Formats: sequence, structure tokens, C-alpha cells
Amino acid sequence: MHLKYESQLREPLVTGNKDYHQVTEDICRPIEAKPTKLWYVGFFIAVTLLMFGVYSVYREVTYGIGQWNLNKTIGWGWDITNFVWWVGIGHAGTLISAILLLFRQGWRTGVNRAAEAMTIFAVMCAGQFPIFHMGRVWMAFFVLPYPNTRGPLWTNFNSPLLWDVFAISTYFTVSLLFWYSGLIPDFATVRDRAKTKLRKLLYGVASFGWTGSTKHWQRHESLSLVLAGLSTPLVLSVHTIVSFDFATSVIPGWHTTIFPPYFVAGAVFSGFAMVQTLMLMLRKIFVLEDYITLGHIEAMNKVIVLTGSIVGCAYLTELFMGWYSQNKYEGYTFWYSRANLFSPYGWSYWGMMACNVISPQLFWSRKLRRNLFVTFFMSIIVNIGMWFERFVIIVTSLYRDYLPSSWSPYYSPSIWEMGFYAGTFGLFFTCFFLFAKYFPVIAIAEIKYVLKVSGDNYKAGVEKEEKMPVEEFVHEYAH
Amino acid sequence: MASIRAQFEIPGKMKTWSIALIAIGILAFIIGLVTKATHGEHGKVEFIGTLMYNSIFFTLVCNASMFFICATTLAMGGWQIAFRRVPEAISTVVPWFGGITWLILFYVVVIDHNHHIYHWLDEKAVDGDNILRGKKGFLNPTFYLVWTTLAIGLWILLGRRMRKLSSQADEKAMDAEEGQRYIWKNTVSAALFIVWFALTVGSTIPWLWQMSIDAHWYSTMYSWYTFASSFVSGMSLVALFVIYLKNKGYLEFTTQEHLHDIGKFMFAFSIFWTYLWFSQYMLIWYANIPEETVYFQHRVLGPYKGIFFLNLIINFVCPILILMKRGAKRNYTLITFMAVLIIFGHWVDFYQMVMGSLSKEHVTLGWLDFGIAAFFVGMIIMIVGKSLASKPLVAKYHPYLKESIIHHT
Repeated sequence: MHLKYESQLREPLVTGNKDYHQVTEDICRPIEAKPTKLWYVGFFIAVTLLMFGVYSVYREVTYGIGQWNLNKTIGWGWDITNFVWWVGIGHAGTLISAILLLFRQGWRTGVNRAAEAMTIFAVMCAGQFPIFHMGRVWMAFFVLPYPNTRGPLWTNFNSPLLWDVFAISTYFTVSLLFWYSGLIPDFATVRDRAKTKLRKLLYGVASFGWTGSTKHWQRHESLSLVLAGLSTPLVLSVHTIVSFDFATSVIPGWHTTIFPPYFVAGAVFSGFAMVQTLMLMLRKIFVLEDYITLGHIEAMNKVIVLTGSIVGCAYLTELFMGWYSQNKYEGYTFWYSRANLFSPYGWSYWGMMACNVISPQLFWSRKLRRNLFVTFFMSIIVNIGMWFERFVIIVTSLYRDYLPSSWSPYYSPSIWEMGFYAGTFGLFFTCFFLFAKYFPVIAIAEIKYVLKVSGDNYKAGVEKEEKMPVEEFVHEYAH
Repeated sequence: MASIRAQFEIPGKMKTWSIALIAIGILAFIIGLVTKATHGEHGKVEFIGTLMYNSIFFTLVCNASMFFICATTLAMGGWQIAFRRVPEAISTVVPWFGGITWLILFYVVVIDHNHHIYHWLDEKAVDGDNILRGKKGFLNPTFYLVWTTLAIGLWILLGRRMRKLSSQADEKAMDAEEGQRYIWKNTVSAALFIVWFALTVGSTIPWLWQMSIDAHWYSTMYSWYTFASSFVSGMSLVALFVIYLKNKGYLEFTTQEHLHDIGKFMFAFSIFWTYLWFSQYMLIWYANIPEETVYFQHRVLGPYKGIFFLNLIINFVCPILILMKRGAKRNYTLITFMAVLIIFGHWVDFYQMVMGSLSKEHVTLGWLDFGIAAFFVGMIIMIVGKSLASKPLVAKYHPYLKESIIHHT
């Protein structure tokens, strides 16, 4: 006999005594109700920021890169810092949906939909920076490999910057497909509940005529597995290649072999922090505490302390090798330009250390992992720290060249550089608000899938199996 | 209601094989001692180097079992409980191999003070070399020995703590509260082990033991690479023992489903190893800085070329092609074959990491290497066999055992 069972020692993933219908009701409610005032206020702020970003980009396109405060040696500043920061954030969604699917982590079902949406929006934001950093953005098509008359250099396949183009566009495409294929059955649910014709039509088109037949489900499941298989290497490849942008060079502080795995760990770290920020708000505003439980929050905090510590291990390894190599330039970069608090950018290094390595250690404590305020605060701190990390890597390695004559004056961004960054926040939250309004923010079908194993009411029903001596259990249920 | 066949009895063949392999190893050691170790500096370095990489490799491989236990414990895994006693038994080898490794390293660093192996032991050379002089704070016999002792000692102690906790699940059924407390105690102990593991295997120990053979060279990736190499071999070793016990009719709760997941670990971490290999190699190749490329010079272009590519073929090409399919991971014969291949492949990897630096002019791989490896393999069979027999094969009252029984992928 096949048994759906998990130990009662595990926290239920769905609380509040739900049945299938209740799940649908709870998750569809925000889509079917009128948006709240809070939604309008948030949306308005997001769009305003976006407009400011658009204007900042307009200045840059019209007047050139001179609108930014990049200088002689700091050719990459806020732009590339922001690019890497956003790409990093865009790692959690696919990690949750693909890698945690392969690891059979049931708690992913509560958060995967919103995390995947976040991934897609974050990658969209990230993409803006290298594109507009080109200066002559109308030449952006130069990166595309097609037969051309521009000579042997273009398209330059030897450049990690070009690998980025492929890696990120592939990642974006697969993440989008993955996200969307998961949405299809849920769109169909919304369609079937629609009260107006327009709504029925729009959600009907979006759900591609899903009927929920066994055949549909069968294809859907195999597609999900194939996409999970494809996404798993992609999660690693994207940030690996972003790290190559730095590590293939000979610049001290950039050229270090640990970069690829450490960048991936850092990306997951910041991605989870962003998921945490969004989820804590979402569960509160949409009353989804039964689906995004303290258990979910705790699980994500565990990922944060794990990846934060991996990143910490890598920072210390680098710092150690800066000394161990006895290479003057390495030593100068790591011990003078970074670890020395009183050097021009020393503050950013210690900001990074405090936010990324030291403070996440709080999450060794179970109590703090389950504390919503601490979690929310930490989720912001981590992303500040991860922004510092990229700033540290880029700016502290560039601001002093080998010759003192090529040292740069102190770099601080112009208002248009900051505006561009603010604009991507606008883009991100505009998209996220629209998503929250029109899309089921939790995967309805997937919650139903785990409900009968991990729902609190169903878990209470396996009391008999829990108490059964193991010999009898085997006799009854082993396959 | 059938009772569980939980008591492993060591078959005569297992004993014979282990003793035979150990005897071969001792014979190889003696012949090596006579023909190599006493015949000039080069022979001696080859002899000691062979002992070193074998002992380091097999210690880390067995220690990987405890890493697996602790990592799955922290991840609150339930699927592995059905066969968890197997990695536990493998981890009981760590005190033995750790001891052997410690003795060999103690001999190299303190008794023999062999600067042909660790160049940084040559005080005169160090004084005349700015770079080595600068590293003295890390590369010195006292720190080396203290840290090595601490590393091995705590692996042993923390591992024992985990195994002791595991035995509690043999005693009596636990109610919800006791179960909760039991899981919590396991979690805390596992966390301690993992943190120490990160501070040793994940960083300092491979720098000291292996990387410092090339005293000038450095790579930040080195330790994670070493970890990946030993972990994937460790999983393969677990697979071998699980299959062995299944074939003997034990571990009735462990099914193809569990094997499939072990196979996934073997597959995934083979790819992970390749990822780290590629990242390290490609970045050094691309930047082309002489003080870094020096490490790969004779490995790619010199006498180690064959070994270099063999390493990639066995540890990457074979796993990706053979283990990719679902069917392959559920096939006992194929997994056995792949597990042996992967362990051999990473043994070759350790060979090139150590001997590639000690004997740059010619590849020494020969009877001595296989002989010494035979000793370690024989020891593993003997000690793991004994440990398996000393405890029930299944922790009957473990709170997650039932999840593991109905586990399917």
C-alpha cells in the first residue's frame, strides 16, 4: 500500500486546517479583489522611481558616459556594481525552483512562484547596466554573433563579457519558461473562477487552454523536470561567468581562482535575502501566513547563514592568500586597499564584512531565525553587504593602478548614476506590484501537491503510523 | 511480522581479502623501503610522497562520510537513515588513517625534516628567499604540527560524538518530545563538525599538507577542489558498501530509490569537481601569469600530460556520460563499476597533486603506488567490516527511519 507520510516531528508546511478549496480561495483572493490603497501608493512610488531612472538613462544616452563620475582608472563603478548585484539577486528563484526541486525540499512550494518572479525582474534590471554602460547603446547589437564586416575582433568570443551575454540571456529565457510553465495551471484556475468576460478571455489566453486533463499534467510534469535539469547548471553558470569578467584579468583583487564558486554562493546569499524581504511583506499584506510559515522563513535563514559562511570562508581565503602569496600587488590590494579601515575605501570592505560575514552568524540561533523583525532587518543588511562586496571588488582594485601617476581621485557617483540605480528599483517594484496584483503569488497547484503530506490537518492523521513499531510499519507499507 | 536482519556478520571472504590486501601493502612498503627509500634522495622522496598522498587521500575520503552524515543531518534529511550506519562505519576509519597520516607527516616535518618534500623546511633556502621568508608565519613546523594534530583530533572526537548519538536510536522508541530533542542534539553536533570541517578541509589543511609542497605557488581554489575530489570519492565508497550489504541480503530498507539518490550525489559532485577543476585551470591559463602557470607547466605539457587527461576522462567524461541516465543510477552493477572508477580517478588526481610536484621530471606511478593503496583499501575493508558488525545496521528508533523506508525519488 502506498502511504503519504512524513514525520510528525517536521513542521507542517501548510497551517490553518486547509482543504483544496480553501487554498484556491486564499491565493486567488488578492487577484480578484480591488487593489488596496497601500498597493496604489507603492505602485506610484515605484513608477516615479522608474521615471527618474528613465530620465537618468536619457541623460546618459544623450550626453554620453560623462554624465557619470567614472574616471581614469575606475572605468567600472556603480553601473557594473549594480549589474552584478542585480544578477546575484536573480539567483534565488531558479535555485529554489530547480535545485531545491531536485533536492525534494517541500518548503520551496510556498515561496517558489514569487521568488521566480523576483528572479526574472532582477535579471531584467541587471541587463540594463551593461547595455547602457556601452555608451553608444545603439551599437548594442555588436555583441550578437552574426556574419559581419567589422573584422576579426567583433564578435570577440574570447571575452568573458560576451560569454555574459549568452549566459544571462539563456538564463533569462529558461527562467522565464520555467516560471511561466508553472503558472499555466494556476492561470487556468483563475480563468475558471473569472466573473467577467474580459478576465476570462485574458486568463484563458494566458493559460493556453489548460483543462487539467491527466495528459496535460503528465506533459507539464515532464516539462518541469526537463526545465529543472536545464536550470540547475544555469544557476551556477551565470554567476560563474560574471565572476570570469573579473577573474580572467590580471588585476590584483580580481584574478583569484576561488571567484566562480564564491560568486555563486554570494549570489544565492543575496537572492535569498531579497526573497526574504519580499516574502515577509507579501505574507503580511496578502494574509498568507498559513502558506509562508515561520518554518519557511527559518529554512531560508538557514540558507542565508550557510551561504553567508561560505562567502566568509572565501573572503578569508582571499585575504589569507593576499598575504601568503607574498605578491606585493596582491598584498597591497587586500591588506592596504581593502582590509585597512583607514584607506580611502576601507569603510566599504568593513561594511561588507560586517553585513555579509559577521551579522548573518546571528542565524545560528534558532530563536533569531524565527524572529520576523530580525529576519527582515537582516535581509536588508545582507543586500547592503552584497552591494558593498561588488563595490569593494570593483573600485578598490581599480582606483590605484600600478603607477602612482595613474591613481584616480576619489570616486563618488553622480546623481545620474544614482538615478539609474534608483530607476532599476522602480522597474523591479513596478513589475513586482503588477505581478502581485495579477498573478497567483503562490503556486496553487504545488501547494495542493504537498498539502496532503505536509498540511497540519493531514499530518495529524498519521498518528497511527507514527506510533507503529517499525517492523509492523515495514510490513504494511514498504515497497 | 518479520524481524529486521540488522546484525552484520563478517563473512570469511571479507576477512581474507582485507588481510591479503594489507599484506600486499606491507610487502610493498618493505620492498619500497629497501629498493627506493635507501637509494638516494629521489627514491626516498618518491617513497615518502607515495605514502603521503595515499594516506591523505584515504583519510579525507573516509572523513567525507562523516561530512555526508552531518550535512544531511543539518539539511534535516530523512532519506538517508535507512543506510546511515554505512557512512558511520566508514567514518570509524578516520582515527586509524588520521593516525597514520599524522605519523607520516610527523616523520617528514620533524624527524626527517625533509626539505625535498617541503621546500620551506630548508631554513637556509628560506632565509635567502624573500617569498618563503614572508610565509614563515604559516609554513613552519610548529604551526604545521599543531594544526594537523588539532584537525585530525577534532575530526575524530566530533565524529565519535555523532556516532554515539546515533547509537541512542538503537535503545528505545522515542515519543514526539524525545524525538525532537534527539534531532536537535544531532543538529548541534553536526553543526560543530561542519564548522570544523570548513576550517580544515575547506581551507587550511589542503594548503598545509599538499599545496605547500609547491612552496611558492598558490591558488585560492585549491582547498575546495581537494574537498570536491575527496567528497565524490567518499560518496562512491558509501555506494560500494551499500551495494555490498544489499548483495549479502542486509539493509532491507535500502532500495533502488536510495541507491538512485546516492548515484545522484556521485553524478552531481563529479560535475561539481569538474566545475572547480575548470574554474581553477581556465583562470590560470587565461591570465597566464608565470608564477601561477608554473604549476600546470609540467602537468599539461610535460611528462604528466597523460595523467592530466586521464584525470579528466575518468572523473568527468565517464561520469557525465554514464551516470546521466536515470536507469544507470538505479543499476547496481553500473553504480559499482562507476564507484570503483571514481575512487580510482580521484586517487589518480591526488597522485598528480602530490607527486606531480615532487617528481616533476618523470611519472612514478607503478607497483609501489598500487601496493600502498592496497594497504589502505584492505584496512578500509577490515575496519568498516568490524564497525558494521559492532552495531545494528539500522537505527531502529530513529525518528526519520519511517520516512526513509517509504522513500522514493
